[in-house]
Amino acid sequence: MQDFLTLVLEPFREVFSGFKRFAPNMLAMLTILIGGLVFARIIRLLLRKALIALSFDAWSDRMGFTVMMRKGDLWTKPTEAVVRVVFWFLVIFTLMIGLGALKVHAVDNLVAQFFLYLPRAFSAVLILSIGYVAAGFMSRTVLITLVNNGYHYAKLLAEAVRMLLIVLILAMALEQLQVAPNIVVAAFSIIFGGIVIALAIAFGVGGIDAARRIIEKGAAEKIEGKDDIQHL
Amino acid sequence: MKTVTLRKEVAEQLDVLNNVEILVGIPSYNNARTIGHVVRAVQAGLAKYFPGRKAVLVNSDGGSRDGTMDVVRSTRIEDQAAILMHHRIESVPVIATPYEGIPGKGSAFKAIFEIADALNAKACAVVDSDLRSITPEWVELLLEPVLREESDFVAPLYHRHKFDGTITNSIVYPLTRALYGKRVRQPIGGDFGFSGKLARFYLAKDVWETDVARFGVDIWMTTTAVANGFAVSQSFLGAKIHDTKDPGADLSAMLYQVVSATFGLMETYPDVWMQAHGSEPVRTYGFQYAVGLEQVNVNVERMLTIFREGLRNLREIWIAVLGQGDYGEVESLGSAGTDAFRFPPSLWSRIIYDYALAYHRKKLPAEHLIKSLTPLYLGRTASFVLEMRDADQNGAEEEIERLCEEFEKNKDYLLNNWK
Repeated sequence: MQDFLTLVLEPFREVFSGFKRFAPNMLAMLTILIGGLVFARIIRLLLRKALIALSFDAWSDRMGFTVMMRKGDLWTKPTEAVVRVVFWFLVIFTLMIGLGALKVHAVDNLVAQFFLYLPRAFSAVLILSIGYVAAGFMSRTVLITLVNNGYHYAKLLAEAVRMLLIVLILAMALEQLQVAPNIVVAAFSIIFGGIVIALAIAFGVGGIDAARRIIEKGAAEKIEGKDDIQHL
Repeated sequence: MKTVTLRKEVAEQLDVLNNVEILVGIPSYNNARTIGHVVRAVQAGLAKYFPGRKAVLVNSDGGSRDGTMDVVRSTRIEDQAAILMHHRIESVPVIATPYEGIPGKGSAFKAIFEIADALNAKACAVVDSDLRSITPEWVELLLEPVLREESDFVAPLYHRHKFDGTITNSIVYPLTRALYGKRVRQPIGGDFGFSGKLARFYLAKDVWETDVARFGVDIWMTTTAVANGFAVSQSFLGAKIHDTKDPGADLSAMLYQVVSATFGLMETYPDVWMQAHGSEPVRTYGFQYAVGLEQVNVNVERMLTIFREGLRNLREIWIAVLGQGDYGEVESLGSAGTDAFRFPPSLWSRIIYDYALAYHRKKLPAEHLIKSLTPLYLGRTASFVLEMRDADQNGAEEEIERLCEEFEKNKDYLLNNWK
């Protein structure tokens, strides 16, 4: 009976002693996480106040950063954008340090890989940032051009352009991150091709009436003739 | 002799000419079909009104491939009796040269200014090469006020169809008048007279590698003259009829060029326009008479369709530029039927000021910003056409005057928000 009890209790003891060994690390991780989050929040607050005091928004306007953000359809103030980027960088950094404090071999490897991975991640972030700005700019160009020419589906087409570009940019970023590159390329080809075929079918079959209306409207406008008005 | 962008053969011609009193410049690009008439009118004008003065005609060409410069070199007045000249006509020397630098009307003008400077011209004029309504009298009307030393800059004053020139009538004229306080009715007319002193002043400006070289040189010349205190006047030239520039020309691209040039000048002369209050007429030369004008067809429905598409699709951009208040007023126009559609002048003036402020604050890339104005501009134009459908030329002019007064009245809004 005693042997049986020992057999039953032994795993509990091992788990308990393992927990006793692990608990300080866990506590350290939680402390680092909480401390880091508090630190990140304080930095966020101080940074926001400092940037406002330094008129960072006005400086960004002068340097053209605001225009660059607007090109990408980013409407937050430059100060807020910088504050958010710094805050989330600190959160992620804290998380990595916290995970390192667990002293679990697998997690240690993960953290080490994370830091080795940083250059690739940086490139991917760069691709995403530039791509996002470019996609926003292209989308707005399409939107304004189509509206100024009187097309009814301007917003839809502009959003479609944005979506296609974002799919392309995401694929490029994932390829840069080396996340299953073959699958990414295949998935991208399937999704991109799929969207194009879907649009073609939607317009060719589902949108026969809409297509007819557009063509008829175009023909009608040609028959009516354009304005003689000289704007200049 | 400053011949920075002049070719060797031109420099040689200038050496032979040495000095002139009058210079008439014609910028061109593939205008072989119309430039002959313009050259004849200028030659006749010089012979008729300035027979004793040494003059030169300069054609500054942008690399035409249709023989424009050959037409200029070979054109002579064939029938002197037709223009009632009693004296012998001595042919006016002609310099026809391709300009160098950035392609555009501004670069063409720069070459003309350089030649004027090199020849020490006292009075100069520039006229467009696609004009069909130019007469010899234009030459006198543009040059005489300068030769009499009463003006440094003579802007044109035309009669145009009440629905033509709507960018001038609804944006450029009211805005420049409210900003700089001078009632120059056709600030982007394209046909100007100016003194040699002003030509040298233009030439000395560091703008010839900027957009001014490409487009917007007309508003730049007018504004530079007004803002720098030169004596400005205008001459009534009659009707302006010219070849349709490009039937497929994109309205929003035209709007971008003109409006960005006007807004850009606001950045150059803030101290001048902030000090100006109200407006005053400028001296006007020429005998004004009524002109018969060709019928202009306007497709109001299409304009309103584009305005409504703008309302449907450009909401975010318009709110960012106009703010909720003015956007709300614009939005309420969307529900009006065609006949009842009216775009209030007061709202329109605030919209233009909002766009000027957004341009100043770089809220959006300039091209996106100004092109997003197109549906609003078409809404305002449609409203003007509907209101003035039965009005005569004077009625339309009175409506433009009311719009100008709104711009002047609301200028404080611009001043208070310009930081």
